Amino acid sequence: MYEAVHAHPDGDSTASRFAATAERYGYEGVVVRADDADPEYERLREVANVDVVDGREIVAPDPQHASGAVGNARPKHTVVAVRGGTDSLNRFAVEQARVDVLARPFEGTRSHDGDQVGGDGDVNHVLAKAARDNDVRIEVNLGPVLRDRGGGRVRHVDKLRRLKRLLDHYDTPYVVSANASSHLQLRAPRELAAVGAETGLGDEWVREGLAEWGRLAERNRERLSESFITPGVERGRYEEDD
Amino acid sequence: MPPATEHSESDMKHLPKHLQPRWRYLGVEIETWPDADFDRGAFQRDLWYAAQNLYGDVGSAEADLTVLSFDLADGDGETIVRAYRGQTDRARAALATLDRVDGHEVGLRVRGISGTVRACEERYLNGRAGGEEQRDVVFETEPRAAVVRDDRVDVERDGGFAGATRLDFE
Repeated sequence: MYEAVHAHPDGDSTASRFAATAERYGYEGVVVRADDADPEYERLREVANVDVVDGREIVAPDPQHASGAVGNARPKHTVVAVRGGTDSLNRFAVEQARVDVLARPFEGTRSHDGDQVGGDGDVNHVLAKAARDNDVRIEVNLGPVLRDRGGGRVRHVDKLRRLKRLLDHYDTPYVVSANASSHLQLRAPRELAAVGAETGLGDEWVREGLAEWGRLAERNRERLSESFITPGVERGRYEEDD
Repeated sequence: MPPATEHSESDMKHLPKHLQPRWRYLGVEIETWPDADFDRGAFQRDLWYAAQNLYGDVGSAEADLTVLSFDLADGDGETIVRAYRGQTDRARAALATLDRVDGHEVGLRVRGISGTVRACEERYLNGRAGGEEQRDVVFETEPRAAVVRDDRVDVERDGGFAGATRLDFE
């Protein structure tokens, strides 16, 4: 199972500290969802006992800005996510086959001066179907369940439960994450599964969402490798037909 | 010496065995920033708040969540949390949502679960690892003070700490 984390300078802990903690917690790997972060992946992978995946999370105010960033990021990074949070960003992300993950569809982004951008985004049946058709995973963000209190958390749990029904019904792919921005915010897979059981998402369902990050990374590495051309077509020798 | 009766003056008699509560003991690892300082009472209070927020007073009573032994120093700690048998997953969920104690950010992980306190201590509590040292490092191109524990390096900076490892300074 994998987690996807906000590493320094996007978060408070470096990718290497996340990797060390994730290993202790029983993860097989972490995806660095970098906005500004730029860790030395090769060196990290040599030293860490868990996989460290080169991911990019695109944070943009609107689809026009996000679109160019997606084009730039796609050939360079193993995992490309778009942070949603408004209806237009959510729609943009699920309609792009170049995007791997629509991240945080409900939460939006707090800018550096503390202004909230978005946060009124929703996912409906149209987006769930589009995400499935374009093979875009929708993120189930457990962060607010773990770290918020009161009405905000109640509303978030409600949104996640409704999202789960949509994802299940349309067979839309999804990933699960605690969205940790420090190693102290990481939680082990069993703990997240227990939270899933308690909130009605289901423990197995949460584990599946954690495992999906790993499957995604593996598939994309294969695609980024030089021999890959398009699904089902690889550069290489012909198989001989006798 | 009068024969012991149901109403003897001694302590209340033990419950019949089949009515005795059956408990499980969760060995829990705690990690904090180096300046965090709180005791068993604060941990107990915030754990019950977390449980109450997640599944209410009745659910909390059903789970138990009594904090037994507790130890925290220099950013590393461990504790044993008791839960009724059959409620360990609920206990795990409450622990997962405990993100702060006394306002200090905490990382928590259940190392394992045992049927007795002693087994839990023996299997899942390591005792004090010890050995933290102060170090000067360069982080974000600035010279800064840091606390080093094994491979972990917590760097002091304005308004809090940053988590790193030795690898980040090689």
